Amino acid sequence: MNNLAVLFRKELHATFSSPIAYTVAAVFLLVLGYTFSLTLFATKIANLNYIFHQIYVLSILLVPVLTMRAFAEERRTDTLELLLTAPVREISIVLAKFFATLTLVLGMFAGSLAYVVVLGVYGDPDWGPLYSGYLAVALHAGLLVSIGLLMSSLTENQVVAAALSLGALLMLWFADSAAYLLPRPFDLFVINLSLIGHFKPTVGGSVFLSDVGYFVSISMLALFLTTRKLAER
Amino acid sequence: MIDGDETYAILAEGVSKRYRSFTAVDRLNLGVRRGEVFCLLGPNGSGKTTFIRMLAGYLSPSAGRLLIAGHDVVRDGLAAKRKIGYVPESVPLYSHMRVGEFLRFMARLRQVPVAAVEAAVRRAAELLALGDVLRKPIRALSRGYRQRTALAQALVHDPEVLILDEPTNGLDPRQIMETRALIRSLAGRHTILMSSHILSEVEKTADRAGLLLDGKLLGVRSIAETPDLEGWFLSVT
Repeated sequence: MNNLAVLFRKELHATFSSPIAYTVAAVFLLVLGYTFSLTLFATKIANLNYIFHQIYVLSILLVPVLTMRAFAEERRTDTLELLLTAPVREISIVLAKFFATLTLVLGMFAGSLAYVVVLGVYGDPDWGPLYSGYLAVALHAGLLVSIGLLMSSLTENQVVAAALSLGALLMLWFADSAAYLLPRPFDLFVINLSLIGHFKPTVGGSVFLSDVGYFVSISMLALFLTTRKLAER
Repeated sequence: MIDGDETYAILAEGVSKRYRSFTAVDRLNLGVRRGEVFCLLGPNGSGKTTFIRMLAGYLSPSAGRLLIAGHDVVRDGLAAKRKIGYVPESVPLYSHMRVGEFLRFMARLRQVPVAAVEAAVRRAAELLALGDVLRKPIRALSRGYRQRTALAQALVHDPEVLILDEPTNGLDPRQIMETRALIRSLAGRHTILMSSHILSEVEKTADRAGLLLDGKLLGVRSIAETPDLEGWFLSVT
């Protein structure tokens, strides 16, 4: 636990020392603000459903850029050797990187709370879907970061890591499209793998344990595989 | 902790490392006595770095047993890692950190108690003459200072065993002499295992040397009792 805290502080420092974090956050908030303003003026409806879907898409495109360095850079500069020869468990190294990147991503998402304030002051929003919407994007962030870390652990090339993450996330997003081509029960399996299929109900205000379980279990599986990859030497 | 011969800080018994059909280290047996400077001598590709990486816990042996201060590096890896300070050949450092910050981070990672961290960093910085650059970013350091910073992080927790992979690689003549003098000054208090492919370095630094070739340990000699190290090297290889 103590080592996890030490590593987490180091990762946070590394994350916020890099211009990548600020660039990605700026692009994310700029696009989100633009979309929010357009949607609000066009529809005059006090909900953030559209914004949550924007966050869904933007984060699939941008989180791989944040996670690509995690292990790829440590491998390239050999600093992973320093970490792995210190008296720390591989899981602590993985969790420190996971929580540090998740902190940044959730911080970016928190920028959208300004829109909630605007809606609360000038409109009469339905608060239930807002809460479930933020739960959905938080779970979504955990899944993106954990898959990004797994892909970063497979290579020492950051661009390859980002491309692998993006590919894996897009495949998960569109997994259900392949269901029409498959016989039962494989079609059901593929439909249930779909990222958007588990995101949509939660954002719409229907929080099911199966959807929450999907995000949590895929995130934990990816973190487990990342830890195994680090231990394999 | 395994009960064994207290004479040895490092004990390797039949240690091998295989990658599919390639054997990098082949059934190596070695004992490094407490407080001595032991040098693994051998040409590039002889298996020195692989053996050192297994000692440091970065690689797992395919066969055999490796003990550091009585702790098995596989079964009791965390305890073994607490006993070592390690400088890899590539001298990896976090370039975005300042020297002092990096040493504090490594001290905490090496489980120096919070209250003792500042004193530990001061002691390591003093030993390596890093006082003037503690606030400097690592990315701005010269090669010599980078090497000293790497040595300082390996010493910051006052380890029983110091493992140095080619510690003078890439240094200028003055820095090489300073590093050799430092290694000699640390002997006794720490057990030091280093690697080198330079005969003169082994002669000036080590108490004993082991010759490694194609992953096999061909022999171990006391430097004091081997006046013609070059002759021994040529006769064995």
